[in-house]
Amino acid sequence: MRAELSVEARLENLARIRAFVAEACRSAGALAETCSALTLAVDEACSNIIEHAYAGTAGGSIEIAVETGPEELRVTLLDRGRPFDPSALRPPNLTADWNERPIGGLGWHLIRASVDDVDYEPGPDGGNRLTLVKRSPRR
Amino acid sequence: MNIQVERRAHVTVIAIAGSVDGATAPALVASFREQVGGGFIDIVGDFSRVDYTSSAGLRALLETVKETRQRGGDLRLAAVQPDVRRVLDLAGFTHILKLYGDIDEAVASFPARA
Repeated sequence: MRAELSVEARLENLARIRAFVAEACRSAGALAETCSALTLAVDEACSNIIEHAYAGTAGGSIEIAVETGPEELRVTLLDRGRPFDPSALRPPNLTADWNERPIGGLGWHLIRASVDDVDYEPGPDGGNRLTLVKRSPRR
Repeated sequence: MNIQVERRAHVTVIAIAGSVDGATAPALVASFREQVGGGFIDIVGDFSRVDYTSSAGLRALLETVKETRQRGGDLRLAAVQPDVRRVLDLAGFTHILKLYGDIDEAVASFPARA
């Protein structure tokens, strides 16, 4: 099964994006915690696209496709913003004391912690293509 | 997201309802900053009606923990729901923040101020 959504890249659309992913996930019969984790990962990835790839410029879009199969849920995010390869990012220090922790830098950590596979490649017409895969234990 | 502020003696309870994400977190940050800026540094975040947070909410919480503790106060959370708790755990925030089962317990955890 495949569901698609195209939205303008604005923070105000994050709630709509989450509702779309959660619905596709639930329709596929995935567990509630699987859907919560995947929804968080997609929110974080779209927040990054809006704030970094498009860096606040108006009019950009995000194409979201959710493919659900018996083994896994696969979300593909396509944008035409500035290229951004997440593999260059360093993981945060999660055990540091409060006064040592920097504010921010947790988005990619939450993505990696919430899904099983993260695959990045440059988009076909510039921009970025990010694929998030969550393996799905059935109810 | 909706925010309500209530005073309980020297403790300020900020009740948040709804989802905290990149679109709504700025209002939460503004509310926290307004309290800290006004000298209200003992703060309880009532999370009983927060159904979701992304890293945007975590940024708001960490900033406020730093701002309050540097002034001798604290931000403590009450009634964090399971989905939000999971995000706090993933981010290592359950080591940083003090969490309480309900608002009364969180309010009572602050020492009296002269």
